[in-house]
Amino acid sequence: MFGKFKRLWAKQPLKKSYDAVIIGGGLHGLATAFFLARNYAMTDVAVIEKRYIGYGGAGRNTAIVRANQRTQENLPLYKEGLDFWPILTKELDFNLMFYNCGNLNLAHSEAALKALRLQVTSAQFHGINSQLVDPKECKALIPALDISDRPTYPIFGGMYHPPGGIVRHDAVVWGLAKGAAKLGVHIHQQTEVTGIEVENQKIVSVDTSNGKISTPRVLNAAGGYSAAVSYHMLGIRLPISVLTIQAMVTHPLKPLLNHVVSSGAYHVYANQTLKGEIATGSHMDPWPNYTTQTSAYYIKHQAEALTKLMPCLKGVKFMRSWAGLADMTPDMAPIMDGNYPLEGYYMDCGWGYFGFKSSAVTGKYMAQFMATGECPDILKPFELRRFEHHRLMGETPAVVEYSPNN
Amino acid sequence: MNRLRHLPTLRIRPEDEISIHFRGKIYKGVAGDTIATLLFANGIRIFSRSLKYHRPRGLYSLEGECSNTFMQVDGIPNVCTEKTLARSGMIVKAQNVVGSPEYDLMGFMDKLSWTMPAGFYYWLFHKPAAIWPLAIKQIRKAAGIGNLSPSFEMKGRYDENYLNADVCIIGGGPAGMCAALAASEHDLRVILLESRPWLGGFFDYRSADYTEDLALYERARALANQVEQTSSVRVFKHTSMIGAYNNNLITAFQQGTENDNFTERYIEIRAESVVVATGCIERPLLFENNEKPGVMQVACAHRLARTHGLMVGMAAVFSIGHDLGLEAAIDLHDLGLNVLCVADVRENGQESKLIAKLQERKIPILKGWVAEKAHGGKCLNGVTLTKIAETQKQKFNCDTLVASAGLTPLTGPLALAGATLAYDDHTGFFLPDKLPNKIYTAGRMLGLSDAFAIETSGELAGLRAAADCGTSLKHEIDAAEKELHALPGPVKGSQFVTATRGGKKTFVCFDEDTTLKHINQALELGFDGPELIKRFTSGGTGPGQGGIPGHNLPLYVRQLQDADNKTVKPTNVRPPLASTFLATYAGGGHVMSKHTPVHSSQVKAGGKMERIGVWYRARRFSEDKSAREEIVNVRNNVGLLDASSLGKFRIHGPDALNALQRVYVGDMSKMAPGKVKYTAMCNEDGCIIDDGVVIQDGKNDYYFTTSTNRAGKTVEWIRYHTRYDGWDFHLINLTDAFGVINLAGPNARKVLQKITDADISNDVFPFTGCQELMIESTIPVRAMRLGFVGELSYELHVSSSFMQAVWDLLKENGEEFGIMNFGLEAQNCLRMEKGHLIIGSESEQRTTLHDVGLGHLWFQQKPEAKTVGAFALKETETQKGRLKLVGIKMDDSSRTPKEGSIIVDEKIRGYVCTARYSNSVAESIGMALVEDHLSIPGTHLKIFEDNLGDQRLSATVVTMPFYDPEGKRMKI
Repeated sequence: MFGKFKRLWAKQPLKKSYDAVIIGGGLHGLATAFFLARNYAMTDVAVIEKRYIGYGGAGRNTAIVRANQRTQENLPLYKEGLDFWPILTKELDFNLMFYNCGNLNLAHSEAALKALRLQVTSAQFHGINSQLVDPKECKALIPALDISDRPTYPIFGGMYHPPGGIVRHDAVVWGLAKGAAKLGVHIHQQTEVTGIEVENQKIVSVDTSNGKISTPRVLNAAGGYSAAVSYHMLGIRLPISVLTIQAMVTHPLKPLLNHVVSSGAYHVYANQTLKGEIATGSHMDPWPNYTTQTSAYYIKHQAEALTKLMPCLKGVKFMRSWAGLADMTPDMAPIMDGNYPLEGYYMDCGWGYFGFKSSAVTGKYMAQFMATGECPDILKPFELRRFEHHRLMGETPAVVEYSPNN
Repeated sequence: MNRLRHLPTLRIRPEDEISIHFRGKIYKGVAGDTIATLLFANGIRIFSRSLKYHRPRGLYSLEGECSNTFMQVDGIPNVCTEKTLARSGMIVKAQNVVGSPEYDLMGFMDKLSWTMPAGFYYWLFHKPAAIWPLAIKQIRKAAGIGNLSPSFEMKGRYDENYLNADVCIIGGGPAGMCAALAASEHDLRVILLESRPWLGGFFDYRSADYTEDLALYERARALANQVEQTSSVRVFKHTSMIGAYNNNLITAFQQGTENDNFTERYIEIRAESVVVATGCIERPLLFENNEKPGVMQVACAHRLARTHGLMVGMAAVFSIGHDLGLEAAIDLHDLGLNVLCVADVRENGQESKLIAKLQERKIPILKGWVAEKAHGGKCLNGVTLTKIAETQKQKFNCDTLVASAGLTPLTGPLALAGATLAYDDHTGFFLPDKLPNKIYTAGRMLGLSDAFAIETSGELAGLRAAADCGTSLKHEIDAAEKELHALPGPVKGSQFVTATRGGKKTFVCFDEDTTLKHINQALELGFDGPELIKRFTSGGTGPGQGGIPGHNLPLYVRQLQDADNKTVKPTNVRPPLASTFLATYAGGGHVMSKHTPVHSSQVKAGGKMERIGVWYRARRFSEDKSAREEIVNVRNNVGLLDASSLGKFRIHGPDALNALQRVYVGDMSKMAPGKVKYTAMCNEDGCIIDDGVVIQDGKNDYYFTTSTNRAGKTVEWIRYHTRYDGWDFHLINLTDAFGVINLAGPNARKVLQKITDADISNDVFPFTGCQELMIESTIPVRAMRLGFVGELSYELHVSSSFMQAVWDLLKENGEEFGIMNFGLEAQNCLRMEKGHLIIGSESEQRTTLHDVGLGHLWFQQKPEAKTVGAFALKETETQKGRLKLVGIKMDDSSRTPKEGSIIVDEKIRGYVCTARYSNSVAESIGMALVEDHLSIPGTHLKIFEDNLGDQRLSATVVTMPFYDPEGKRMKI
């Protein structure tokens, strides 16, 4: 590490054909590329990124990882995803900085406690450590919490999930890119996909701003732009609404929050990064939007919510806020599908604002799907057709409304 | 320290002494001092230690672009002491040191910097895996700067202002002030924001000539007076602009003075047009040890003397790239500083008068020279200058190095407003190549240096902004343009980036200890753009954000990569442009909530109030969490529930029926007079989202209720789903206009009859009936006979203003029948005993009308209505594998499962929605959503509660209702 530094990923010329083309140099795309090369010796793979790798959601999330989802279709994938970070760190020989600090999710009503219990029992049933804790235990975990009855929403209890934590999101991007490039994957940054060609219901090629690529398979892992790519280039409409989601960080502090803490009622989650900043975010802007602009309302809301929850934070300053795009499905679960409705067309999208947690392990399974043409069992519940059949996955209890009709 | 007490430019009051606590001692200063200048006056030169290398850091800019002078003040971490006015009694502590800033036990880290190349942490600490958790502890301890106690309480009052203006001007320097005056002449409301406690910008501290007989500072004060006396200009001093959003929404915060009744104030301004006249900061000069205490920027040294009366040191070398540096050298020399030498990175282009003045004072000037290395231990004791691109060197011993590469415009506000910036070769600035509509810019940030040109550009921008507000000012604008054209234009700026490459301790970012070497390393690794380098080296991600590295980093990258690259951009700026307390953003901390019209009587009766959505409602009226007494009383006597939060609406107009047919699953065309109709709304997936009752008041005139949760969403829901139809109907939200009382129990009629003359016998007013009643012959109420809790009950909809009166009458007259309040807990149990669902409790996102057993509400013979969800209801009607709502009875009646427990075999098959021990049926019962194959009555279920391990609770699926299955009691 102290000598001359070698490039982590080389700049390669764009070839005229690849075995697989992956649209989007985010976490899902890079992970899939890495595992195609590593597990299936499919090294003739191109990752096409319009800007630079990690530009989108990969670099804009708040890096929280956990495996306390609500449904049994999601739990195994997230559990494996969570267990995967140390393994991947070793595998990539790149410190992804998984900080296993645990997550505390607060309930501010009887109904919220009931909802948390469903998550806790489901997690425990799957062998995942998750516990309900009372307000005093919450305070012991996060001494900054106000557990009195003064706040707008007093704390009724919480769900403590020790295996969760945070991961350095940029490290995952760079580690995967490094790993994939080393195995021969081409990463083309500053290259935009402009079209996808289909013959006889089969993918045949991808047009890019730097030339045409013949390929029998393409993965749509374009994050916020996945629905647009699908519709504009293939005419396939996906049930995805794109919404802006904002986040911000405070000045760095010495250790104050020893766990990730979140609250649905206040619409806020917060964690302290290894650098010491309190990174915080919460819900999406309430209407579909493709901009990554922040709003005056939101940062104020976030300050109000955080200081109600943890009054000491009044004495800290926000120093940066930003926004990203969340590609939301009606049931807040992703769409992972392949060879449908076109042969050779794979989708790994609709990950909304929760695509970070299981990105790496999803890449592993999407790689299996693309290499074998067979959908792995663990991904089957996420097929696109569930929406045609009105079988939502129930990943959140409440009815989800993204459109201006709410 | 001796103050320069008699300078006319001072912003301190030397006669007014103050003192603060630091390191266990009392330090004295004067009013007007910032904490940092006060400490500087007392000889403090080292204010902090840097993040990674624990290098000593001192006063560098006075503008707060880096964390050099961050300290803890009165328990508040990371206070930028160079910008915070000192107040007597403040307790100031150093941060991120073991010991003191002078003697920091962590100082050895600087010697280990070679072990910490760019992104070193990505290659370290993960092999073997076992060391990582230990490393995290150390990393966390080492990272961060300030300490915040979890029990810290922020003092002060936090205000909020929401303002409208025609023209908002950001920056109260000469250009901003002239813009304000120009705009104010056209009968416009002008707001002027200035971050310093005074107006004047970079004129304020300068004694150089404005005209022959007027100094710049005098001109600034005259302008400031004029502005402050102009009534149409609202001046906000000590106010930092922090955000610019769509349609000229400007956010800012103001720091209160001792005379203000607020500590800080959050401000939002909606302006028609905006002028950005934020001026420049200095571009940091890159050389070895460029952040050693004793190295500071031109304006820092100059302002220390002229504004704060503090001479920066004894002997100084200047290494500068702009005429302001020459001016400062001359002025400070005249004030008593020994200026050893002035090195100017420019070979030529200097103002000849300034060169002459330097020569008069026998101050050597080296053109084309630059500082290469600062020497010294903790503080500066010398500097080596070098001729650019040559090998000549000169070394000087000095205690001060005034260093600045030139100027950098403060384009943050423009960038936030959506302007794109491009590198301008002439000025060496990133300038806007396209401004958004109704945003203008003026002054020195355009590269102007001439005082008249700066003022005229302000006037022009002010006129343009004023013209956007509807006044035709073509003539005035043309004249100002002409005038500006005749004045000196933007001056040639320094193109200089760095003389030497690969400096090990040449800091591009002070906050993150990012050096030129780190940038080289990042480039070698393949991070080939400024944004990626910023992420990888973390340069520019600290408290100062891009303040120090924002323009140097991309320019350096450009120099290494491709000197002709015109597409180079500064790294992104993000709001807030100035770090802002959460206390300030949070403001007054107002809580948006609603109280029902009888809220106070609920509280008085001992109601345990809980916030449900925006409402406060009573959960129960005793300490008994099961509310048993309330339940028993409703079953046996009569109870009273405040249900005012129910959504209540009137819809009328020619297409009212069409609209209802669209959103409700039932047939709304057939409604019996004097009857209520219970029905439901679904979404496009056939999932149930609301239920309620509808009453027809006349042709195309209906009254309907929604659940509490849906009240706020219903109007938009109906509008949205009829948006293409062009229908004519009016929708009125009456939720707050009416309160609702649920009078329930076998004695309900007796109570109600006592206060009304109407015939409310079961024959005249039966179950599901609806009547207008007069209470005590004066108060009209709408009464409905509903059976949510399963007893004879009246739901009384009363004008909010009469609610309390009706409530009290019922209480009074019900006394003999045992009337008692009941709350949500009792209601929840009572309705569960009846198998009545609450949406959101017994349903979830994926639950259809069929799933909860309400499929019979769906009227299929109205395809022309295009009812929302009808298509999905048809598709899912017989679908297998769905979760269905069932009643369950625990096999062991003493064991009630906790709600949210799951129903399992080898997989999860459903979950318990609601469960209670029911006194009414003496069983533990509940409602659950289970997979359809388990929904048949008689099926045995295994329930897994949290922490049950291998144990399971057993229950049996039963038919509902549990209580009074024939429903006789509500029909009596």
